[in-house]
Amino acid sequence: MSGSDVQHDYHLVNPSPWPLIGSMAVLTLAIGAVVYMKGLFGLAEGTWWVMALGFAMVFWVMFGWWAQVVKEGRTGDHTPVVEIGLRYGMILFIASEIMFFVAWFWGFFEFSIFSDARVGNTWDAANPIFQEGLERFKQFPPADVTTFDPFHLPLMNTLVLLLSGTTVTWAHHALQHGDMKSAKLGLFITILLGMLFTALQVLEYSHAGFTFDGTLYGSAFFMATGFHGAHVVIGTIFLIVCLIRMYAGNLTPKKHLGFEFAAWYWHFVDVVWLFLFAFVYVTPYLVFEAGK
Amino acid sequence: MPMDEIALDHAHAHDHKPGFFTRWFFSTNHKDIGTLYLVFALVAGIVGYSLSGLIRWELAQPGIGPLLWIQTSFFGLEGDAAITSAKHMYNVVISYHGLVMIFFMVMPALIGGFGNWFVPLMIGAPDMAFPRMNNISFWLTVAAFILACISMVVPGGLGGNGFGGGWTLYPPLSSTVGHPGQSMDLLILSLHTAGIASILGAINFIVTILNMRAPGMTMHKMPLFAWSILVTAVLLLLALPVLAGALTMLLTDRNFGSQFFVANGGGDPVMFQHLFWFFGHPEVYIMILPAFGIVSHIVSTFSRKPIFGYLGMAYAMVSIGVIGFVVWAHHMYTVGMNVDLKAYFVAATMVIAVPTGIKIFSWIATMWGGSIDFKVPMLWAIGFIFLFTVGGVTGVVLANAGIDHALHDTYYVVAHFHYVLSLGAVFGLFAGWYYWFEKMFGVKYNSFLGGVHFWLMFIGSNVLFFPQHFLGLQGMPRRYIDYNEGFSTWHYVSSIGYAITLVATLIFFFSIIEAAVRRRKATVDAHGHGNPWGEGATTLEWTLPSPPPFHQYNELPVVTGKGGH
Amino acid sequence: MRHLIAALSAILFASPAFAALPEDGAINFQPAATRIAERIHDFHLVLLWVITLITALVTVLLIWVMVRYSRAANKTPRKFSHNTTVEVIWTVVPALILVGIASLSFPNLYYLGVTPNLGQISATSKALLAEGRTAEHLAYTKNYFPDAAEKGFVNIKFQGNQWNWTYTYMDIKDDSDTAVEFVSNGIHTGRPSDKANYEAATGRTDFDSQPTNYAVDYPMVIPAGRYIRYYTAAADVIHSWTVPAFAVKTDAIPGRLNEGWFLVEEPGVYYGQCSELCGINHAFMPIEVRVVPQGQFDRWAALMKAGDFDAAAASVRQIASIASETKLASSN
Ligand code: HEA
Ligand code: HEA
Ligand code: CUA
Ligand SMILES: [Cu+2]
Repeated sequence: MSGSDVQHDYHLVNPSPWPLIGSMAVLTLAIGAVVYMKGLFGLAEGTWWVMALGFAMVFWVMFGWWAQVVKEGRTGDHTPVVEIGLRYGMILFIASEIMFFVAWFWGFFEFSIFSDARVGNTWDAANPIFQEGLERFKQFPPADVTTFDPFHLPLMNTLVLLLSGTTVTWAHHALQHGDMKSAKLGLFITILLGMLFTALQVLEYSHAGFTFDGTLYGSAFFMATGFHGAHVVIGTIFLIVCLIRMYAGNLTPKKHLGFEFAAWYWHFVDVVWLFLFAFVYVTPYLVFEAGK
Repeated sequence: MPMDEIALDHAHAHDHKPGFFTRWFFSTNHKDIGTLYLVFALVAGIVGYSLSGLIRWELAQPGIGPLLWIQTSFFGLEGDAAITSAKHMYNVVISYHGLVMIFFMVMPALIGGFGNWFVPLMIGAPDMAFPRMNNISFWLTVAAFILACISMVVPGGLGGNGFGGGWTLYPPLSSTVGHPGQSMDLLILSLHTAGIASILGAINFIVTILNMRAPGMTMHKMPLFAWSILVTAVLLLLALPVLAGALTMLLTDRNFGSQFFVANGGGDPVMFQHLFWFFGHPEVYIMILPAFGIVSHIVSTFSRKPIFGYLGMAYAMVSIGVIGFVVWAHHMYTVGMNVDLKAYFVAATMVIAVPTGIKIFSWIATMWGGSIDFKVPMLWAIGFIFLFTVGGVTGVVLANAGIDHALHDTYYVVAHFHYVLSLGAVFGLFAGWYYWFEKMFGVKYNSFLGGVHFWLMFIGSNVLFFPQHFLGLQGMPRRYIDYNEGFSTWHYVSSIGYAITLVATLIFFFSIIEAAVRRRKATVDAHGHGNPWGEGATTLEWTLPSPPPFHQYNELPVVTGKGGH
Repeated sequence: MRHLIAALSAILFASPAFAALPEDGAINFQPAATRIAERIHDFHLVLLWVITLITALVTVLLIWVMVRYSRAANKTPRKFSHNTTVEVIWTVVPALILVGIASLSFPNLYYLGVTPNLGQISATSKALLAEGRTAEHLAYTKNYFPDAAEKGFVNIKFQGNQWNWTYTYMDIKDDSDTAVEFVSNGIHTGRPSDKANYEAATGRTDFDSQPTNYAVDYPMVIPAGRYIRYYTAAADVIHSWTVPAFAVKTDAIPGRLNEGWFLVEEPGVYYGQCSELCGINHAFMPIEVRVVPQGQFDRWAALMKAGDFDAAAASVRQIASIASETKLASSN
């Protein structure tokens, strides 16, 4: 066996320090987060630098690692069979992300669908300890919470995101046909739309009639839409990287896995939003708010 | 120059191993990473096992004894303060025992260790699909373990250090109400980290299996261990993110004022249980499926017969995985669920006995007509089949919600899950260890010691866990530091069982040292293959030398014939 | 052979003598004190046979192949790897067994899980009697209690706290319309000072005769032969109200009210323990239920209403008998 030269197309990666550094980065970040939230190891609560260090390390690792991946891709390590593997990998990653969102939807659905049942049948209603909870929960969203009118900013955001879905597809087609100019333009517009979405979302948040802490509705709402927002930001950065690589002549009509993945990711973010829009914005509004 | 290039100018060349530090810390080699996982699991196993020793020591007799002694002698506490601390310590010990055994012993050993080592070897792949990501899965597991260890010694609940709310982490005990300290936050982040590690690992396994099978190896010719890891990986991929979501909610409840599980904010503590068990139940199959895979190989090898009903075996695992996602609330029969819902979960849960039965009977049918060689791995595998059956059928008892109202949160449950875990998954783990030891390390173990290890463990763990059924039926609740004299006898017997496993475990570690010192050369068979087991061992790993070269299959093997193990 | 099986099953499956406390060395359930428990025990007995036989089958098969097909006994292995018939059998037969189990399981589940409709019970019983279907009436009254149904429910709320139980008797109200409510603390906390504390607090000297980790200062009291409808709640973290002899276990969860029911015919003392991890004193928040004849219960309730908790507790220390003598010696 030994002695023969490599006869297959798989990618045998060289030893790399990034995984070890990456895990130390995560360790630092986790400890830093606890230091920040509660104080630890003699560092007072609110001490931020450990966490900042952790973040910095994480970003360093991401940059270094993926730069290495890009380089390997360009030097021919990403043979067709490796590309298939990478595709599978990205699909699976997105599948796990979907399950992550399942948790937020689960929460939102439980609170919205079963609020009546819980208050009516199972709430410890007479108990003075839980009066406050009862008041808050009688209605979901609670009476003192003004939810967003889905047909203003959120609808606009839906359109923005849907539009960005089409522009990224435009860019993809252009790229496949070697029309780099349109590809860049499409991608550029997509990024702008992504940023616009984030900006509108920030604007919307700033008008929220409820907060993350203190109300169940706020918790469930911000967690679901907030994680979505975070994914939009990540997706936007991903697209920006692709744009830069496009300018660097790094993506070719034949080889542009990075772009493809960014596009998939973007569509995933898009679809999640559609669910959020339908179930977190529109349905409660139509069902509950109408009755107020 | 990026650091990636410091190590090897040409990693593809021959059997050229990198230097020590690069090899073990920057590894991108599935076999080395597998070994790292196994070493890690051994270390975590010692921790988890020691914690279980504290449990059995404390429970050997009624009253609060050994833990109180530890508080007074080592922490200088006295009087009521010492007792309070001892009580809290007990809760901490059981919680971390469960967590360490599950997340840092069984999973890393079976999936990270054996999965990494043998999935590529068996399917004829030169390495994993993403070798570098493979390594971060490992190091993140280490980071998670470090976080868990730190969390054990920083302020936790009202009674002292560490988190004492059970491995199931139910709020409000795990919220600020029950554990205001940093311990729980660290634990949450530890499990997040372990979760990310496992998700990345799962992606890696699935891609490797789908994309890197040797020419001619169709899915239906793929060895059952690879099948088991495939199903396990899918379960990991889909279950862990939900746990991550639940943990994130818990974290923000604790620190940022959200109300998901806070009753007085309208939130619902029971929702955590739903989310937890939506992960938790698939998790138990995550732990057992790889053991199923290992046992299939061993049974076939030592019976010198092809596995009986290969397709049925593979699809039994698939269906266990699928059904495993829709039975979670059988852990929650007493939370006040609607009775129709309970009835559904009863039915769904019991269905799993059918595919599991297919596996049990197919193993026996594989042995039927065979020519069975009772080598050490085979002893463990047969032990597994028997003990897993015992644990499985008590699971069916618990599945019946009516009975579960009597048995939930009693030692009957503890007995059930140790039969499937500590005597199931762990027996599968040891079976794999003895089966592949020579292949992995290139030296032989002493099979007499292996046999003694098996028999002592078999006797010891039955003495340990069988009486716990009786305790449970009599009503002994779980997670109790102290109990009425009416439970003394069986607790005492159980602790004696522990002492027997202690001897077994010492022999186990001794056998490792013995093998390392003696360095008996691994078998080379007539074909020049590193195969100590003879014609029954048909999977690809046995065609390689022991240990295999640093990079195997530079020329891919071509699979012909029926395959299917 | 028949005798052997009978003897064996007597050892394996028989219930020991009456006791509401765990019995050292016992290997089965505590004796049933409610119909719920009885039905569950019966069902469990069936299941125990089923799983024992399945395990025995697997064991016998394993031993058989190990003996018959060992290397020594069978030099050349056969090579078959399929047999559709047996594969179908070992799929279908277990499935059928499970269907059988489920058909026994569901009635029990619904029996304990649905709070009975008392009006319907007395109506059904009357109808059966009126139609002269005495055999059916007899069968019916095994599970349903028309006499008790006539009297309605006794409603009690059990609230778990770190680390004791608050009992609220929702129907027993004093003049100011407040329900009788009291806290029940375990007298054992695992501390050496327990005995001294107990003696100081109660002035009593019977500490040593109280069952360890089970006895409380103010027990919960219920009338024998009455339908009890209970609600569990919690103030801080999750607890679980459990009495093994009743086969009752219901989690007490903050913000929630869980509901359940049971009916105890035999007066006596029954013990249970909190069954959901709730912090450091999880093992020390026991449940003591004194089931007394209605008359004694009414006396106790009157004393409670008057606010004399100690006298009330004293009044149930000795349990009057309905027909025979007091069941438990420890109820001194
Ligand atoms: C490896 C881990 C593992 C495995 C494989 C299983 C397998 C099963 N488990 Fe178990 N379980 C746990 C680990 C595991 N469990 C843990 C850790 C807990 C406790 C968690 C906690 O609270 O901390 C638990 C708790 C638990 C409960 C909750 C108890 C309670 O808290 O009240 C229930 C209830 O339904 C249950 C049921 C089952 C069933 C039906 C199976 C089935 O899959 C078993 C199927 C196998 C067989 C049945 C045997 C072989 C089959 C045959 C020989 C065919 C013929 C058989 C029949 C017809 C019956 N388990
Ligand atoms: C895989 C999981 C696993 C394993 C192996 C074990 C092993 C053991 N466990 Fe258990 N246990 C749990 C999972 C496990 N446990 C869980 C989840 C809980 C619930 C926690 C909670 O309530 O929250 C629990 C709870 C629990 C309790 C109940 C505590 C209580 O409720 O108060 C008890 C009591 O006796 C106990 C005892 C033991 C003993 C004596 C052993 C062992 O000593 C038995 C013998 C086992 C070995 C000897 C294996 C040693 C392995 C190695 C050394 C590693 C080898 C590694 C390689 C080969 C790579 N455990
Ligand atoms: Cu209250 Cu456990
Ligand atoms: Cu389960």
